[in-house]
Amino acid sequence: MRSHRRGPAAALCLAACCALALPIAAAEPKKGQTAAELATKLADMSLDQLMNVEVNTVYAAARHTQRVSEAPAAVTVLTAEDIRRYGYRTLADVLRSVPGFYTTYDRNYHHVGIRGFNRPGDYDSRVLVLVDGHRVNDNIYDTPAIGTQGIVDVDIIERVEVIRGPGSALYGSNALLGVVNVITKRGRDIKGAELATEGASFGTAKGRLTFGDTYGDDCEVFFSATTYDSAGRRRLYYREYDHPTTNHGIAAGCDDDQFGNLFAKLSFGEFTLQAAYVSREKGIPTGAYETRFNDDRTRTTDQRGYLDLKWQRDLSDRLSIMARAYYDYSGYKGAYAYDDGGDGAVAREHTRDQWWGAELVFTHTLDRHRITWGMEYRDNFEQAFYGRDPAVYLDERYRSRIWAAFIQDEVRILRNLTLVAGVRHDHYSTFGGSTNPRLSLIYQPFEGATLKAIYGRAFRAPNGYETYYHDGGSTQKANPSLQPEVMDTYELVLEQRLTERLRLTASAFTYKMDDIITQVVDPADGLMVFQNGCCAKAKGLEVELAGHWPSGLRGRASYSFVRAEDGGTGERLVNSPAHLAKLNLSVPVVRDKVFAGLELQYTSRRDTLAGRHADAFWLANFTLYGRGARRLARGLGAPLAQAPAGHIRPHLAARRGGPHRDRRLQLRHTRAEAG
Amino acid sequence: MATVALLVGFAASPLLAGEAAGREYAIKAAFLYNMASYVTWPAAAPGGADEPFVIGVLGTDPFGAMLDEIAATKTVEGRKIVVRRFRGLADLAPCHVLFLTATEAKHLEPVLQKVGASPVLLAADTQGAATRGVHVNFFIESNKVRFEVNAEAAQRAGLRLSSRLLRLARIVEPAKGGS
Repeated sequence: MRSHRRGPAAALCLAACCALALPIAAAEPKKGQTAAELATKLADMSLDQLMNVEVNTVYAAARHTQRVSEAPAAVTVLTAEDIRRYGYRTLADVLRSVPGFYTTYDRNYHHVGIRGFNRPGDYDSRVLVLVDGHRVNDNIYDTPAIGTQGIVDVDIIERVEVIRGPGSALYGSNALLGVVNVITKRGRDIKGAELATEGASFGTAKGRLTFGDTYGDDCEVFFSATTYDSAGRRRLYYREYDHPTTNHGIAAGCDDDQFGNLFAKLSFGEFTLQAAYVSREKGIPTGAYETRFNDDRTRTTDQRGYLDLKWQRDLSDRLSIMARAYYDYSGYKGAYAYDDGGDGAVAREHTRDQWWGAELVFTHTLDRHRITWGMEYRDNFEQAFYGRDPAVYLDERYRSRIWAAFIQDEVRILRNLTLVAGVRHDHYSTFGGSTNPRLSLIYQPFEGATLKAIYGRAFRAPNGYETYYHDGGSTQKANPSLQPEVMDTYELVLEQRLTERLRLTASAFTYKMDDIITQVVDPADGLMVFQNGCCAKAKGLEVELAGHWPSGLRGRASYSFVRAEDGGTGERLVNSPAHLAKLNLSVPVVRDKVFAGLELQYTSRRDTLAGRHADAFWLANFTLYGRGARRLARGLGAPLAQAPAGHIRPHLAARRGGPHRDRRLQLRHTRAEAG
Repeated sequence: MATVALLVGFAASPLLAGEAAGREYAIKAAFLYNMASYVTWPAAAPGGADEPFVIGVLGTDPFGAMLDEIAATKTVEGRKIVVRRFRGLADLAPCHVLFLTATEAKHLEPVLQKVGASPVLLAADTQGAATRGVHVNFFIESNKVRFEVNAEAAQRAGLRLSSRLLRLARIVEPAKGGS
């Protein structure tokens, strides 16, 4: 879609529509239905229909499954159905549809901004991403990897829980602006094999093979492998390089992207073993880091993998235990072509990061209390840095250890009033300790309405890159004395069920981030170095209206406003759009079979690092998604004949950023045996 | 701003009964009612064909007025529905469906002893209840209310569950050595 300068007006219009809808809709529950009337209505449904009525639950907000309305935070949950209906291809696509979230892409990595905070050059270290509860942010760059280097293929995701606000009281470092818990599919969700192939613009092809099944009551298996290859944009034009010596600003054939992904999960009784691996190679066409422009040797390879063994058991009716042990690997290789007067030389940088860890979590239920407490130990037994250009300028290894303990109590003070109080202490062998509390008061004044008042403190430990990296004294030096960043957030959340099918979530927040780790130039030697800088503060508002109807129609509309500024200068932060407006609408074209999905996103003008600004823009995605014969039989008794279900998903996406349209057609064939 | 206005609005509105768990229990109430059509009670079940169909709740009722509202507007195969609430085991009277709240479902032994082999469809929403002898146990999975069925225990109670019901359920085996 072409860029529209009328953007802000339209965004305001959408916001106004939301705002107008509020009083009208909010008035409805008074004359609308009580839970008893809802029950009567539901009683008219068939058993099959009842199986599909959704209740909203979330796990990661308090480390146990609870209703969204009882979670001590503002929560958005997106499901596999959303991923299919809107044709999301990466976790970045999924997150971009969440109120207050926005993403940028520098043609190497996707970056996510939350609540007005997304500084260029950062690696998304202020959001924590978990896969089935396993921490995904690595230990050198803190990157959760939400783009094509993401550790799971979005097509095997069952749910994504997005918990906005501070989460360090439960999860430790990185959980400043939010926690994202990705829940993957299980064997029972597949019950057979699935083969998906995909072709898209820019010479893009993707293939996936997934297998999953259950054996008896105790054993469940899931396996998935994905391969992806994209030639990328054949020609990319950059005005900054428009000069005869740099190919007139055209990067030709430098935008390729390829990855391979493996994911396996084996459950046996109380044990679950999970293994994940991804390797991605990406050409960098932007001439980043003062590399030679239009040289396809400049590229990065990112690898990430883990093994995770989890044990879960109910020791009694009131006590359950979860233990987890894991090994993680993260590797990065960068090749950077630079000018040497001739054909250019290539500098190489590698980092390798390995760690193992264990955690133990207990949950007690007492009369009015639910107490969750636990401890964690992590040993970063290898944090290795290597660089040569061609002389070796960096070859160092480090080791650090972390231990942590946390406790959270959910006290039901009154029938409709709950206090959730938690605190976690993390001790790092590098800088020392950090203690982070979170307090939430959750009040349900009447049917369908929930008010939450939240205070939370969160921190981010300085990562390996910020602490140890240097390039031999030519441009950048290390700073082993970095201290953690801290952030305080105050938030008021309102959740209101307007009708049986329509939900409103509104959140007003303010946060202050201190000791932000920022790259500056040391005037003493002219070298770049990371230092604990000053602060940032923000105030904002998020409003979302979400609904789904039995016909298959579903939609979400949200508007968010934030004013995020540098605490020192009072200037608006760079890359911090004040207004975001989003609309997602999925309409059944053929009942239960074909759906048309429209996604519209508005991002207001942003200031850039160079002191200029990037214009406001609209993004529009259109997805036509069809599924073949529904599963005919499922369940008990002798294996029944199973009609193959085909998924046909032509995906047409149009987006801004120069004339840039891409199309994708995905064909998926599922073969499952009922059993 | 809009939120402030809303908050003020809410503070001023009259407090209604019920809590946000409403939706989940509304779904479970609908299931309880609906399932009655997929279960066959033996002729020895309480009451004849013209007597009311009894849904009982043992423990602190999480359903509020939901079951009563269903009872007031629906029938089970032409039979009137009556909802009975039992504070404790001592009060227990014959019924067709008995929902055990979390506290009751955690200490099943006395309940099972009291109900014995009489044809009562035992339902609960407590983890592990089905393996320990409850016939239908609700749980939440992928944001939806699902149920597991202990078919063996139901059969012992003389209840016949239709294949359609079983097809939608997750079937559990009774705990080894349990009864």
